Amino acid sequence: MQLIKITLFLALFLIMTSCYSVRLQVSNGVWDPADNERNDPYAGYNVQTIDTIISRKITTGKHYFNISNCESGALHTVEYRTTFGGLLLNGITLGRKKKVKIKYVCIMENSM
Amino acid sequence: MANTKIDNRTWWDTLHKNGPFDLKLFLTTKMEKSSSGLSDFERYKDAAIEIQRLIQLALDSNERFRAIGSKWSMSSIAHCKDRMHYNAFLNLKFPIFEGEIHPASSYEHNNLFLFQSGNRIKDISRFLERRGKSLKTTGASNGQTIAGCISTGVHGSTIDSGSVQDYVVGLNMITGPNPEDNIYLERESRPALTDTYAKNFATVIIRDDDMFNAVLVGLGSMGFIHGVVVESENLFLLRRYVKKINKKEALQLANTLDFSTYDPKIPDGNFKGVRPFHYKVFINPYNTNETKYGAEFIYKIKYYDNYKLDFGEPIPFQKEFVYLDLIYLFIKIAEKFSKSIPTIINLLKSSILPKEEKTTVGKLSEIFWDAGYQGKAFACSFGVDHTNASKALELMAKVTRENPVPGIFAMRFVKSSEATLAFSKFPFTCMVEIDGIQWKDNDNLISLTDYSTKLIEVLKNNNIPFTIHWGKNANWKFPGLINHMYGKNVKKWKKIRAKLLSIPMQEVFSNSFLDSTKLSEPLAIDEDLIV
Ligand SMILES: Cc1cc2nc3c(=O)[nH]c(=O)nc-3n(C[C@H](O)[C@H](O)[C@H](O)COP(=O)(O)OP(=O)(O)OC[C@H]3O[C@@H](n4cnc5c(N)ncnc54)[C@H](O)[C@@H]3O)c2cc1C
Repeated sequence: MQLIKITLFLALFLIMTSCYSVRLQVSNGVWDPADNERNDPYAGYNVQTIDTIISRKITTGKHYFNISNCESGALHTVEYRTTFGGLLLNGITLGRKKKVKIKYVCIMENSM
Repeated sequence: MANTKIDNRTWWDTLHKNGPFDLKLFLTTKMEKSSSGLSDFERYKDAAIEIQRLIQLALDSNERFRAIGSKWSMSSIAHCKDRMHYNAFLNLKFPIFEGEIHPASSYEHNNLFLFQSGNRIKDISRFLERRGKSLKTTGASNGQTIAGCISTGVHGSTIDSGSVQDYVVGLNMITGPNPEDNIYLERESRPALTDTYAKNFATVIIRDDDMFNAVLVGLGSMGFIHGVVVESENLFLLRRYVKKINKKEALQLANTLDFSTYDPKIPDGNFKGVRPFHYKVFINPYNTNETKYGAEFIYKIKYYDNYKLDFGEPIPFQKEFVYLDLIYLFIKIAEKFSKSIPTIINLLKSSILPKEEKTTVGKLSEIFWDAGYQGKAFACSFGVDHTNASKALELMAKVTRENPVPGIFAMRFVKSSEATLAFSKFPFTCMVEIDGIQWKDNDNLISLTDYSTKLIEVLKNNNIPFTIHWGKNANWKFPGLINHMYGKNVKKWKKIRAKLLSIPMQEVFSNSFLDSTKLSEPLAIDEDLIV
């Protein structure tokens, strides 16, 4: 019984956190740099993360999710990531709430 | 006002994690915003004042100060234990106009640009392309800063164009905290800018060939490079093709660089007898049965706007290719095995280099594009006269089979540089390089220091004159190494350094790399007179 519970819990955990992500990047822009110690594709990139629950207003209609901290006013990379848990939340709230994780890197200032 | 964020840190590492190294303070200077109302020259000068303030702080604290670029060097050349300055945000760019060219100059004003030192190659290429211009050559990818490139002597395999420092025609150096320590330096024999223009950003103007050549590959130790005047050329296209060719043929081309009768047989193009812009050979040292090497041929063709209609978008193609930089090729081969490092080495004995017979056409910046691998890596890179290319490769590959490490070889070719300590010192230097992934002590392999010692020894014992890429891994403490490689040029370099930097400033701009190589040791008084 205990084993089944653990297995179910693990399966649920994996499903809830299993995710997909989409990465968009301009091929000819210069990324905002950072001296970080990462060894993933973001090594040397100044990555910003938004981990939030967005409301229906953002996903429909004329509303935007504003990014105001890019000094150059331009984006170099955007990674949109959603999890099964996030999709579930979307379902339960009848599309009113959606959990998203967005990573982005700005274009460097003075580089355009 | 430019301002500097000072972070207390205990360690720092290179992009490919060749450290970690101890560190006290990490400094990041950001310039006044473009919205400040200041002109770009005012922002540039303001940044210079801030750099001088930081140098004064280092001096007052009896500490060393070192500018770093993108930390792409794998040797410890960019490291200093006290104060490291991150230059990435110093990225202003200035075109040079007609009246700003020195009257005795042979340069065309529209080919010259002044770049602040933190500009990365990718950034510079974008800026130039929008003006119909291109850099003459770059390394295999584009993330280094212009100052970082020239300080170690970054090269591609552009046979007849030389290395990055070879198209630099002027330097704005900050050699100390005082107003007179802001210097504009160029060759007397090939002046570039008028005094009036240079006075926009520098206090003192020096025109001196020996000094310029010594400072060019300055190893981060000739002061702070604030600006670099670069000579560009009109945009051109490159047609790239990789194919497997017979070992004998590949080595013959390497030893002679004579392409006058060679036909690379590139589909839809007749390049028989044409000297390529770029020639590079890829070698798996472990499989001695393979009869072929991978050879990359790149030809320069005239630029025209609609090349993408004829050849497609080069960037997605570049992403599919495996013969990009050497480390990337190794990773692509090794990831097929995804086993332990000794197993990878074992499997390399029977694996052959991949096939890749596709043509791409693109601008320089599209062919030598973003680096594909960010993990832990090592690279050892030796320069030999190209006539010794096959001999050096054979010896180094044998050392590697006897002392296996997880890496593969390439050979690239570069025209000689005028820089006093350029590793591309032979008429045509063949860079024989091995790149790969790092291994652990429990992999039971030779250590990287011992491996590179063996490479040094084998070339020495076989009387093959050589140099080593300043930004790559080596046993830099090997006794007498630098004198063996550069002979009397070492004294020349030190003498200029002593002329340019006061004794306290020589200490501020030194680091352990310079100490290990004995380049920070001043010349004895009598030696000083002889040079
Ligand atoms: C993915 C990858 C690909 C590479 N490909 C090539 C290649 O194709 N060809 C090649 O030759 N090399 C190659 N290298 C090596 C690398 O390009 C060089 O080591 C280069 O010098 C790194 O430049 P950087 O801007 O990162 O400078 P850093 O590594 O940060 O610094 C290099 C030196 O420059 C000095 N420096 C930097 N800025 C200043 C300044 N403003 N004033 C004074 N000194 C300064 C530093 O103090 C240091 O001594 C590659 C490395 C990597 C990681």
